[in-house]
Amino acid sequence: MMQGNATRRKFLVASVAFSGLMSTGMGAAVLRAGSAWAQSSGGNAGELARMARLLFPHDGIADDVYAEVIDGILTDSANDASLLELLDEAMPALNAAQGGDWFAAGEDAQIAAMQAVEDEPFFAAIHGNVQARFYSHPKVWELIKFPGSSVEFGGYVERGFDDIDWLPEDA
Amino acid sequence: MANRYELSDSSVVVVIGSGAGGGTMSNELAQKGIDVVCLEAGSRMQLSDIVNDTTAMHFKMSWLDKRLGAPAWICKTVGGTTVRWSGITPRFQEHEFKPLSTYGKLDDATTIDWPITLEELAPYYDKAEYNMGVSGTHGIPPSAETNEYKVLKAAAKKVGYKEYTSTRAAINPVARDGRPACRQIGFCWSGCAIGAKWSTLYSEIPKAEATDHFELRTNVMAVNINHDDSGKVTGVVYADADGNLHEQKARAVCVAGNVIETTRLLRNSASSMFPAGLGNSSGHLGRNYMRHLTKSTVAIMPGAVNFHRGTRQSGLIFDEQYHQPERGFAGGYLIETAATYPLLTAQTVGGWGARTAEYMENYTNLAATWVSGEDPPQASNRITLHETERDQYGLPVPVVHYEFHQNSHAMYEHAAAASKNLLESLGGRKVFSLMGGGGGCHNMGVARMSADPEAGVTNRWGQTHDIPNLFVSDGSVFASSAAANPTLTIVALAIRQADHIAERMSRREL
Repeated sequence: MMQGNATRRKFLVASVAFSGLMSTGMGAAVLRAGSAWAQSSGGNAGELARMARLLFPHDGIADDVYAEVIDGILTDSANDASLLELLDEAMPALNAAQGGDWFAAGEDAQIAAMQAVEDEPFFAAIHGNVQARFYSHPKVWELIKFPGSSVEFGGYVERGFDDIDWLPEDA
Repeated sequence: MANRYELSDSSVVVVIGSGAGGGTMSNELAQKGIDVVCLEAGSRMQLSDIVNDTTAMHFKMSWLDKRLGAPAWICKTVGGTTVRWSGITPRFQEHEFKPLSTYGKLDDATTIDWPITLEELAPYYDKAEYNMGVSGTHGIPPSAETNEYKVLKAAAKKVGYKEYTSTRAAINPVARDGRPACRQIGFCWSGCAIGAKWSTLYSEIPKAEATDHFELRTNVMAVNINHDDSGKVTGVVYADADGNLHEQKARAVCVAGNVIETTRLLRNSASSMFPAGLGNSSGHLGRNYMRHLTKSTVAIMPGAVNFHRGTRQSGLIFDEQYHQPERGFAGGYLIETAATYPLLTAQTVGGWGARTAEYMENYTNLAATWVSGEDPPQASNRITLHETERDQYGLPVPVVHYEFHQNSHAMYEHAAAASKNLLESLGGRKVFSLMGGGGGCHNMGVARMSADPEAGVTNRWGQTHDIPNLFVSDGSVFASSAAANPTLTIVALAIRQADHIAERMSRREL
């Protein structure tokens, strides 16, 4: 049920309906973005992908999904100088909070360092962007059993919109 | 495409906006044989443009022009926010038209009574419900009970609530009025792909077009309302899609741009005769902006709910809507269901790490409630225009100032406890409430009706106190927010206003 929108969705910026965050970059070249970011900060996408996993840790989701989410954000940053600047702040801040190499630290220490910087604007930007892309990703929908578009299947009128079976008898 | 009406035709009524207020006004006037030109800033979608893709639809229909301050979920498309809305249509209660008399003066609030009563509006509520096809009214069958509504109902019984229903939705339970029955598709907030949910996009606008007394102009942004030396409005200047300016002459003008754009247009139309903007001799234009005390609650239930199956908001509880001052706050609130797609669920529970992931891994077992509660008007909650920032039309960017009143904080505490009690009564766990979740969907009050011209912008007909042929036809005229979702009341007021305009025209007063 996921296949229909997967490719298109990859480059769509997710709606952030109630958060007020709005990212506008859509569909610039991943390579160009990745290299621009790498040149400006010396950081790498792998570290941000690790951060993405710790933000939204799901054992059933493979690393390549988190990497894809970060790729998308780096793509946006090619056309968004303020986002690029915030991304650049991430690793120096996490390393400082960790007191060393954040990426090489153990999971508990990595999480503690993230908690120490979670009120920083760069953290909010990465959190919001990862959240928007990650929870719009077909692989994640598959894991949490959200089937996506239903109109082509006739909605749920004959597919369980009222099939709840565990409520008290008198309800 | 050539215009149906000449720009110089000063016999037309110009309606600005095609949503709940403007779409209804356009059709009501056209049905009476009054010629209407409706100016809509957005473009016109067909049903085939509406897909079950929240991201794509967000970009197709939202008002994304530059705006600062609190977010507001208004639309820039034919049909306006009736494309996005949930379809929930409760009426106001009698006392909610008399908040000052009922609640008394609240600190830091600018409460007034409406200049109209429930009794006066009741016949128009009937017409609005009939036109919109509200389930469970006027012989229309009740709505089907979705999984999530069944959770709400079972919980309501458990905790002893008495008044709850799955009906009162402007979503067809059966085919009616050229629209099909609901298929429980589940993407109501992204537009109804089959048109089962009422929207002026495919209801009032085509009906108006069938009268031969109506012209819709899309992708045109109203930038200024002109007036003559006598102080009557004479026409509306708008920018077309290429940025060229035109003036449509008018006999009367009805502004229905949703509160932010209604404020901006009236303020931008300031002149030497009306230096603070049209209709603003009281200084109240843009002030007393209300958006309800809103609250989202999410819980992990002991079994599958699959709340993504079916209508987004599938029922409501009325028991807490009454004014019971012993609870420690004025006014009341409605408890409604609110099923969210995954991203919005993650945004609602917020945060990060294992806690957030646990909610999301239990997506099929989640139940959610949403609260809409009365929001006291405050002068400091307002829409202003930025001094230097300009948008693509060269217009000052609107700035939305909004903070909850202390009454809303007290109401929130009560509503959060009530929602927790509800969902825990069925074994729900990890109940989480977010104050303000979904805020900015309901926008009201910047040109409020007032008996006293010093206390508001419009009179009991939504006619500006200052200018006899200038009307406000959207939720801007609300003198109080009440607890109810606003769309039904916007439609009822627009039908009533259209009757009034037609009557004044027949008496040659307009």
